[in-house]
Amino acid sequence: MSLLYWLILIPLIFAVVIAFAPARQARSIATIGSFVSFGPLLAALFRFDWSNGGSLQFVASYDWIADMGVRLGVGVDSVSLLLIALTVLLGPICVICSYTAVTENVRVFYGWLTGLQAAMVGVFAATDLVGFYICFEFTLLPMYVLINLYGSKNRKRAATKFFLYTFTGSIIALAGLVYVVFHHRSLEGVWTFDIPTLAATAAQMPLQAQSLVLLALMLGFAVKVPLFPVHTWLPLAHTEAPTAGSVILAGVLLKLGTYGIYRFVLGFVPEAVIEYAALIAVLSIIGIVYAGLICWVQKDVKKLVAYSSVSHLGFCVLGLVALNSVGATGSVLYMINHGLSTGALFLCIGMIYERYHTRSMDELGGLAGVMPIWSSFMVFFVMASVGLPGLNGFVSEFMCIIGTFQSSSAWVLEGRAGAAGGSLGPWFAFAAGSGVIVAAMYLLYMTGRVVWCTARQPADYHEHPELPKDLNRREIGLLSVLAVGCLGLGVYPTPLIEAIEPSVERTLAPYQDLLEERAQRLSLDEGEG
Amino acid sequence: MVDLLLAQSAFPEAMSQHVLAHYLFVSAAMFTIGLVGFLTRRNLIIMFLCTEMMFQAAGIALIAFSRFHLNYEGQTFVIFVLTVAAAEAALALALVVFLFRKRDSLSAEAWAEMKG
Amino acid sequence: MTMLSMPLGALSNLVAAADGPYIATGEAPQWVALIPALPLLGAVLCLICACLNVKNKAPGYLTVGLLAGSFVTTLVAFLGGTDNYGVATIFRWIHASIGADSGTSLVSNFAFYFDGLSMLWMLFVTGLATVIGLYSSEYMSGDKGLGYCRFFFAFNVFVFSMSCLVMADNLLLLFLGWEGVGLCSYLLIGYYYKKPEAVAAAKKAFIINRIGDLGLLMAIGATFVVFGTVELRPLFEMIAAGIDANGEAIGGTWAVVVIPLLLTAGAFGKSAQLFFYVWLPDAMEGPTPVSALIHAATMVTAGVYLIARMFPLYAADDAMIALTVVAWAGAITAFWAATIEFAQYDIKRIMGYSTISQLGFMFAGLGLLGTTGAVFHVFTHAFFKATLFLCCGAVMHGFGGQLSLRRLSGVMWMKGFGITAVCMLIGCLSLSGVPFTAGYFSKDMILAQAFATPGDMIGGAYFIGLLLLLTAAMTAYYTFRVFFRVFVGPKYFEPGDDDHGDDHGDDHGDDHSHAHDAAKEEPGDALHTGFHPHAPGWAMNTAMVLLAVGTIVIASLYFVNKKEDHGWAGTMVKYSSAAYASPGLGHKGDGEKKDEAVGLLPADAEAGAVMPVSLVAEGVVADEDATAKASGTLFGYDPFKIMYYVSAVLGLIGIIAAAWFHGPKGLAGLGIGNRVEPAKVRMDAVAARFGPIPRWAENKWYVDELYHIVFVKVLLVSSHIYHAIDKLVIDGIVDLLGSLPRWLGSLLRPSQSGVLHSYATGMVAGSAVLVALIVLVALL
Repeated sequence: MSLLYWLILIPLIFAVVIAFAPARQARSIATIGSFVSFGPLLAALFRFDWSNGGSLQFVASYDWIADMGVRLGVGVDSVSLLLIALTVLLGPICVICSYTAVTENVRVFYGWLTGLQAAMVGVFAATDLVGFYICFEFTLLPMYVLINLYGSKNRKRAATKFFLYTFTGSIIALAGLVYVVFHHRSLEGVWTFDIPTLAATAAQMPLQAQSLVLLALMLGFAVKVPLFPVHTWLPLAHTEAPTAGSVILAGVLLKLGTYGIYRFVLGFVPEAVIEYAALIAVLSIIGIVYAGLICWVQKDVKKLVAYSSVSHLGFCVLGLVALNSVGATGSVLYMINHGLSTGALFLCIGMIYERYHTRSMDELGGLAGVMPIWSSFMVFFVMASVGLPGLNGFVSEFMCIIGTFQSSSAWVLEGRAGAAGGSLGPWFAFAAGSGVIVAAMYLLYMTGRVVWCTARQPADYHEHPELPKDLNRREIGLLSVLAVGCLGLGVYPTPLIEAIEPSVERTLAPYQDLLEERAQRLSLDEGEG
Repeated sequence: MVDLLLAQSAFPEAMSQHVLAHYLFVSAAMFTIGLVGFLTRRNLIIMFLCTEMMFQAAGIALIAFSRFHLNYEGQTFVIFVLTVAAAEAALALALVVFLFRKRDSLSAEAWAEMKG
Repeated sequence: MTMLSMPLGALSNLVAAADGPYIATGEAPQWVALIPALPLLGAVLCLICACLNVKNKAPGYLTVGLLAGSFVTTLVAFLGGTDNYGVATIFRWIHASIGADSGTSLVSNFAFYFDGLSMLWMLFVTGLATVIGLYSSEYMSGDKGLGYCRFFFAFNVFVFSMSCLVMADNLLLLFLGWEGVGLCSYLLIGYYYKKPEAVAAAKKAFIINRIGDLGLLMAIGATFVVFGTVELRPLFEMIAAGIDANGEAIGGTWAVVVIPLLLTAGAFGKSAQLFFYVWLPDAMEGPTPVSALIHAATMVTAGVYLIARMFPLYAADDAMIALTVVAWAGAITAFWAATIEFAQYDIKRIMGYSTISQLGFMFAGLGLLGTTGAVFHVFTHAFFKATLFLCCGAVMHGFGGQLSLRRLSGVMWMKGFGITAVCMLIGCLSLSGVPFTAGYFSKDMILAQAFATPGDMIGGAYFIGLLLLLTAAMTAYYTFRVFFRVFVGPKYFEPGDDDHGDDHGDDHGDDHSHAHDAAKEEPGDALHTGFHPHAPGWAMNTAMVLLAVGTIVIASLYFVNKKEDHGWAGTMVKYSSAAYASPGLGHKGDGEKKDEAVGLLPADAEAGAVMPVSLVAEGVVADEDATAKASGTLFGYDPFKIMYYVSAVLGLIGIIAAAWFHGPKGLAGLGIGNRVEPAKVRMDAVAARFGPIPRWAENKWYVDELYHIVFVKVLLVSSHIYHAIDKLVIDGIVDLLGSLPRWLGSLLRPSQSGVLHSYATGMVAGSAVLVALIVLVALL
């Protein structure tokens, strides 16, 4: 059996076990379960042929609905494998960070949390559209439960909104995907839901059909990312979710959107993507700056970080629609980096919330004196998030911006050495780059209020019965793992970049010629004009 | 196989269309009585009886058609319906008793809990 | 100490051995990685100390030791001469291909590029860091424990980042260092995190730097697009040949105008020039050693370094647009900052503005094509400004954080402050440009350059020169204003509210104990009987003396290789990308060198690969004679000669003016001062005549307020508006759509009456309609 099946099955089995185990054992079983997944993951990472990372590996499939050509297919290329690695890595972190935060209904909590991991791995591992979509939708349910039962004050509304909003989006995406399947059926006469097969035929659709598919897919995935202007569920959901939920949400669930764009939008409809790249880029850039500025006026720390996710993922989408290797590689790297650094920020905030039961910057402040260890970590992750070179955020952000910078038809025509075709260019890069300034503004504003300045504590503060004033070993351990990741990927990202590149190059393979054609066409138009 | 069975049965010949019409008329009449009764009466037990009457009207029609077409499908179905109706009657009457105990009345108008 | 321990003979060896082109083509030894690695190790050790809760001075001494190691490594590399110039690749950092077909890829290694420029910079960076680290080990002793570890952690990371910046082999690694020093600056300005001003200043510094960084980032992008690489060596090779990656000429294209301008934006941000200067005065909220090292000597010169490093690109532009911008911006900033200093009363802020002003000189020097002068001024400025800051720090340390000119007087005569005052005097003399000090020689080169550079190369060079001359005189005045008021005159002090560590009173190291006794004898503190100024201890004094001696000694560097290269700095610059024989500089030496070095000729014309050859080839420089003639004069003399006298006179005028207006009565006021009370000076009467202008100047011309309204307020208001839009409009639409089903439901709600009969009737009616329809259809 393929390792990937194990990666999906192990969390599923453990979820069921947790559901029926005594409540007292739930958290230890969940912890064990989340670590057991490391086995197949490590095996997969070692056995994966990285030099050939662009092609699907560990491929396996079973017939499911034979008449319709639906199969339970799995397989990963380097990008999916890395995202699976991120998912599995965040698994134990989410479980362990909830030890003291969740004390009621623990079985339900850990059960769903563990089940969620199966769904997320399933999304990245599926090579069959039906399997992908089922997992994609199934992620909603555990998240809904986690927010709804374990969130803070406004959790019911947040959970409902999260569910309905993203569900609506993905239904529209489903329409687009089904259209592609139908197109394949009408062209080849057979039903198939195999993603690589579909990608090949979808690219042959006429531009108009491609545009419609693009619209449908983007509507679905953009909600998940979330891209401006369909982002409003995110701040609410993030703010209300329990810490583990926020970490998973920021770390992996949002990446389902960008992964969807990478795999399906870029993979299925190249001509339409080229046509609308500029539009998507504009939305991303608006998101980057607009959400960044909104962060700046937040009072709630968690909401600030939530909005910052909108801003950061704007870079991610921007890098993808730059349609060149640097941009897209940077974007995929960003998915991983954002998962680490923003996940860590949410962890940090969760630790504060557990102690002070508030996230308001008016009530909290000057924690550097009270919680030096926490503050050090906080400043570290803020800097990773700001995009400080040497830490992970920078490499990906920089590559996204450079990718955008190069992505200009004019430069291809000039034959610039470092240019790749596209419809973005320096001005887009400049606008996106201004987001980097805004990021510094809001994150330092937050740091300035929460970490520095004179110490402020809520009036009704009393010490947590189980937790020390500053972090305990468990919490330090959690943050250290992420910190090492952030530093490692910042100092030595080369292996990861090299791993991602083959997949990106395969995905972008159809674009090179299309972009050159387009550039030629534009120059002809200009010549005539 | 079916033909063989029919050949061996006590009533080998089919019902004529004329006779079928009579049965159907009775069935329709019973159904209408039941329907009108259901719509006009307020007593829950009477209403329940009316529904039973509609059931049986349908049963008569089914049996008649079964005889007309010379197969057993209709009759089989009626046996099922009767069985279900019996179970249902037990359940429904129990519910009625329960409702009566709650409101001291058998009027259907005493209940409007499902108001939207 | 940086230069002291180095035999001057080594310099001549270096010169003798050096014949290489300005592109470092060799291979640098791998062990140069120690230079950044040792501070990095120091940072890790400080972190460990913090974890172990070390409460003694161990982190400080560890830092000093490791930084000294770093300095020694630099020194060894330096003594190795030009053999060590080249690239040392440590490991692959970022490699990304830009497409399957094209051969180009974005290559950025963790690699170091060594040439004269980086060597010069590293010498003073590591040297000063060591000395200032020693100073800090005592200065910060009040915060022993976590704060101490935090300080030295950031200190080490700073030196690491600065080394990466300076020794970077590619623009991306340079950017890493660039942002890294920004981070450390942030952490160290905000070191006293309980003070809201310090936190705000730290934030301001980081954000304003970020704005400049965007320019740098864009410049890197553009460089990559045009040249297909961000590595310095291939870049310089292409620029030297005057071509881009496609082999097409770059002269006259947008690339040589836009990229330098973008780089300039980055440089201005880091070096607090023009619109970006506002963060630097506020940065003085940090501990004084930080101000000395980061905000005076090293980090703020990174902008100068960037331009010097990328000078070939600047010079590749025929019209020299970017350089003209740099020159004018530098001159205006120098003058502007000087005007503000006239009315400041916080001695550290005065030094901060003075740094801005001096950086303005350096930028003007670069813009005026005088890289040697600019680089030399960076070098000398690092020494004398660090000295000045350390002395200010000693005063601040001793008087409970008191920094006001009005509340201190006659510090020199107080026990234990003699060394401080003498060092301060040396620094002030150098900053004022008094003859035969280091600052005098380096500033002169820039001033003279302004008159030597023809106006058709850099527009308005002559006026830049006049502006700079005026500023030089002003510099002398404001520098000695501080000295005359704080250090001489009647003994007087009011202690500050001591915001840098509250525990000086009870937590001195042993080396301070004598200060207690001494302080008791101090007069002038009758009102503050509880407070005793405590004089600097051995570590601080050693550091100050080392730097002051260094300030004196480095003046001699001006005479090293004077004939060949116009001083030691010239030698270093010659073997670097900043190599550029500035107009007129050839006149300064003796006659034979004239023909060779005049004009836009490479510093080393024989090497062939040197950059300006391409310019000659492209017809930028028609013929050497024409350029030689174009070289300007001052009062009909060679500016490089006459400037010795002009600037000396101006400097003295400034000092005399300061003595007249602020000097105490008696010899210490040069016999012309009349101050007898601590805070009553002749200047007050003069200032009163100018109405509100002095007050405006004291309030820094309200630039901060203007920025606050124009940028911060506007952005803040728009952010609030966006937030409202996000909540009301964008989310509102979503909620509206979400409520649509609910609204529809409420319309249909009455149909669900809950009455059994209404459902039954409805059902019957529905079936009837259905039957009717079927019948109808059947009939038709």
